[in-house]
Parts: sequence; C-alpha cells; structure tokens
Amino acid sequence: MPAWPRLSNALIAVFLSIVALLMVLPFLNVIAVSFSSSRAIVSNEVVLWPVEFNTRTYYNLYRDGNLIRSLRNTVILTVGGTVLNMVATTLISFPLSRPNFRGRKLFLSLIIFTMLFSGGIIPTYVLVQQLGLLNTFWSVWLTTLVSTWNLFIMKTFFGTIPASLTEAAAIDGANDLFILVRIILPLSMPVIATLTLFYAVGHWNSYFNVMLYITRSQLHTVMVLLVQMIRSVDPQLLETAPDSTEITRYMTPEGVQAAAIVVATVPIMLVYPFLQKYFVKGVMIGSLKQ
Amino acid sequence: MFVVRLQNSVQTRAVSKATHRPTYSAANPAGTLSRGRGRGRLWHDIHRDRYLYAMLLPVFIGFFLLFRYVPMYGVTIAFRNYRIVDGMFGSQWVGMRHFERLFRSPEFVLILRNTLLLNFYQLVFQFPAPIVLALLLNEIRAAGFKRTLQSVMYVPYFLSWAVLGGIIIGLLSPSTGIINAFIRGLGLEPVYFMMSTGWWPVVFVVSGIWNSAGWGTIIYLAAISGIDPQLYEAATIDGAGRLRQTWHITLPGIRSTIAILLILNMGRFIDLGFEQVWVLQNPAVRSVAEVIPTYVYRIGLQAMQYSYTAALGLFQSLVGLVLVLTANWVIRAMGEEGLF
Repeated sequence: MPAWPRLSNALIAVFLSIVALLMVLPFLNVIAVSFSSSRAIVSNEVVLWPVEFNTRTYYNLYRDGNLIRSLRNTVILTVGGTVLNMVATTLISFPLSRPNFRGRKLFLSLIIFTMLFSGGIIPTYVLVQQLGLLNTFWSVWLTTLVSTWNLFIMKTFFGTIPASLTEAAAIDGANDLFILVRIILPLSMPVIATLTLFYAVGHWNSYFNVMLYITRSQLHTVMVLLVQMIRSVDPQLLETAPDSTEITRYMTPEGVQAAAIVVATVPIMLVYPFLQKYFVKGVMIGSLKQ
Repeated sequence: MFVVRLQNSVQTRAVSKATHRPTYSAANPAGTLSRGRGRGRLWHDIHRDRYLYAMLLPVFIGFFLLFRYVPMYGVTIAFRNYRIVDGMFGSQWVGMRHFERLFRSPEFVLILRNTLLLNFYQLVFQFPAPIVLALLLNEIRAAGFKRTLQSVMYVPYFLSWAVLGGIIIGLLSPSTGIINAFIRGLGLEPVYFMMSTGWWPVVFVVSGIWNSAGWGTIIYLAAISGIDPQLYEAATIDGAGRLRQTWHITLPGIRSTIAILLILNMGRFIDLGFEQVWVLQNPAVRSVAEVIPTYVYRIGLQAMQYSYTAALGLFQSLVGLVLVLTANWVIRAMGEEGLF
C-alpha cells in the first residue's frame, strides 16, 4: 500500500476514535461526580475518576424517597404502556398487512395523514381534559398508543412472511385470529422484540407527556423529576445577575443531580446490548420498504 | 384456492341478486346487476374479513379517530373562546380574533424567528453529520474496530433528553463544570455557555449532533453496503482515488436515502423536539431559545390561554405540512423518488 492511503486511514481512525471518546466521556464524568465528595466537586477536582469516593449522595437520594417513588412510577408507566402499545400495534398492523383486506388502502391513507398533520398540543390536551384522563397514566398510555412508524415496521415484517403458510391454514378453515396467534406471531419474534424495546425506551425516556398531563407530583416519573431539578434555578436570579457566581449556591447541588442521572440511566445501560442488536435490526426492517 | 374463491363469488353473486333485486329492479333494471354485484362483493369481503375488522377497528377508532382526528377537529377552538365548562364543541365562535392578536404580537415574530433559525442550524449542521460519520466509518476496514466505534456512538441516542440536558448543563457549569475548569486552567475567564445568547444555539446544535449523529449512521451505512462493489473496482482500475470514489460512487449511491431522510426530517422540522429545547432553556436565553412548542406549553397550559395557543399550534401544523409537501415536491423534481 502506498504511503498516502495508509496515512489517511490512520487519520480517519484517529479522528473517529476521538469523536467516539468525546461522545462517552461526559457520562464517565457524571458517574465520577456522583461518587465524589461535594468539596471535590466544588473545587473542580473531578474529571473521570471519583475523588474522595463516597456513596453519600445515593444514600441521601434513597432516604429522600422522591426518587424511589418516581422510579416506581416510571416502571409502572413503562411496563403498562409497552404492553398496551404492543397489543394495539399488533392488532392494527396485522389486518393492514393482508393484501386482500377490504378497506386496506382507505385505512392506510387515513393513518398516513396523521403523520403529516396533527391537531397540536392544545387540542389534544383539551380532549384528554374533557375525557377526565388528566392525572392518570391513561392520558399518556392512550395518547401514545400506536406509533405510526412502528406500525409500518410491523406491517412490513408481517408482509414478508410467506403467504403459502397462511393460505394453507385458511384452507383448513382457520380464521384470521388463529392465523395471527398461531402462525404469524411465532414467526415474528424479532420484530416483537425490537418494537417492545422501541416502545419501552420511549416511555422510559420521554418526559413531555407526563409533564403535560400529570400535574400531581405523586405521579411524576424520574425524568420529570430530573428536568425539574435541572430547571430549578431561580429565574429571578438569572435575569438580574447572569454573571454572578452567587447563582451556583442556589442551584440543585451537582452531586445530587449527577446521582439522579446515573440512577435514571442504569436500566437503559443494562439492556443496552439487546437494544443495540434489535434496534439496528428494527431500523433495517423499517427501511426495507423504502 | 382459486377454485374456492371462484365458487364463493358465484354463490354470493346469486345471493346478492336475490336479496337486492326487489329494491333496485323497479327503478333501474340496467344498474341492478352491477350495483347488486358490487354490494354483494362488499358484504362478502366484510364478512370474510370480520376477524380482521374486529382487530383493527377498536384500535383505529379508539386511537386514530379519537386521539388523532378528534383533535384535528379540535383545532376549531382556535376560532372559539374555549372555556372548560362549554367544552370543545360548545364554546363561542370568535372568528379570526386569536390569529389577529397572534400575528400582531411582537412575541410571535420572536418565536417564529427563533424556530426558523434553530431549524436552519439543525438542517445545515446536524443533518449532514451522520452522513459524514458514515462515510468515514465506511473507510475503516477492521470490522471489530468499526463495530466498537459504532456501539460507542449509538449510546447517546438511547438516553433521555432529561439525562443529556443534565449532563450538558453540568459539563458547562461556570463553577463546577469540567469545560470551564479547563478554560480557567488556561488563565481565561469562565464562560456562561447556557446563559449566553451567543453560545446557546451552539450548545443546542452540538447537543443535537451528540444525541443522534452516531445513530443516524446506521441507515446510511446500510445504504452504502448496498452499492455494487463492481463500481469501485472499475473506478480503481480507472485510477480513481478514494476521495474521488466517495464523491462519484458512494455519495450518488446514497442520494435517494438522503432524500427520503430529508423529507422525514422536514416533517419534524418545525416541531424542533420540545424535550431538547425545554431542558436546555432558561430565562436568560429566552430571546433566542423560546420556540413555538415551548411557547405553546408555557402560555397555553401554564397560563391557560388555550384558544390563543391553539391558533399558534394550528399555524405550526400548517407550516409543517407545507414544508413536507414542498420538500417532497422538490426532491421529486430533482428526479428522486419522493415519499408520496
């Protein structure tokens, strides 16, 4: 190999390694901060390794109870929401994946239109309010019941299952429900795993809907709690003295925030290997159609 | 299978003729046959697909109709004076009053400008980032190294904006942030990144790239791997270097993917991602960071001006629709396949 391509290879490798490092180093910093003493944090000694290691912050968070309660809420919201999402998405994707289904085109057009135009935040909020769903998890579950994107991924996958399998069953007198449960679903485990993860991660991470529909702090999830911590700087102070170091004294202590971030992220990191494997697959299935 | 179908349809034709003749034959004997046959088919199909309807309709009505289409009608509260007691459909009509107030208010100009500017930055800097990364990753031949890089780069995509925002604000903190510790180490004054109207848009765009650039490479890498290797071989024989191959083979090879993703991006264009903006926002930078969705939330829900902000929301939805259709049209005019 001549010298120039070898050099450019090396440069690309170095550049990409630096980019990748820059992308994860912030997490290491946060983990280090969460285990360091507040003295070390304030005097800027923490970089990527904890200084004066302790688990005080975590203990205080645990004692406070708010974080634990919000984590419990997140788990309920995520598990309940994901189950509903999967059932609903399967039920609507299967008929739409049958080529002879009467009304297929009409339903598909009506569904695609919702991707292009929406009533917006306020009308949806008003509807939820009128239905009396505010301050219940149902508000979040029902307004995010089916992701149109995921619906298309599942529909495409169902469509790739050979028709000969279902036709044979149909001739034997099997109805469509039987075909879905006994033939299609057992062959669809990859897409089921993928979409379950898509939905679950979505519920775990998103905070807007909870913030919008649920005002009772008893029902807040961990992400809403985190956003409140982050935004809890006194606005008055910021507006009057944007360059005063006084501000920092009123902020939520960095250590507490860092610990809350770590706690909220651990579950995602635990399933990350699965996430990666199935998410990549999911994106591929979704892009097949295009 | 075919035989069964044929028999079925013959049977239903006979049945439908028998049932429909009394009603239609008198009025229009010629039309009876075709009309009766169409009806018969329809009922036959509906009966055949009854299990499918039983699956689809509850979800379609309970979700798409109720939570997607009813709010679309609900935007009419933008033309009403919505009061909770009167309900969505019973409040008094006021015509274009909310729109007039909206278009006259100085705040509207500000948030529209911010929304468009931040979108423009995203389009110019954030959209090409995964393309560049994918092209570079494609040059790496060691499979293990490449996979490791990818796994590391995907991580930020799986984290909540609450988490990413917290990390960013922590890193950039003027007193305890590691970045400012470094700046002070150079003997300079600490920078108030999050409170500076100059720095905030930069933080916004960089954080967006951090969140999604790595993840975005997947689809481009898949598109690149679909390019015919013979093209590269031919180019090599013709003496084209790697840069020329990237420019003349790889980039044209993923053109249609870029086009599709651009249209999809346009769909979310004006929406901007509420969660990202909201977590990074603070009152000191409101003049550059207040965008349509955050304004709708703050004024509409926190200050309960439902109708006024519904008008703004409708404006946003319409602009979004126009943008997607325009992007689709432009891309089709350029000879690529559009989405619709």
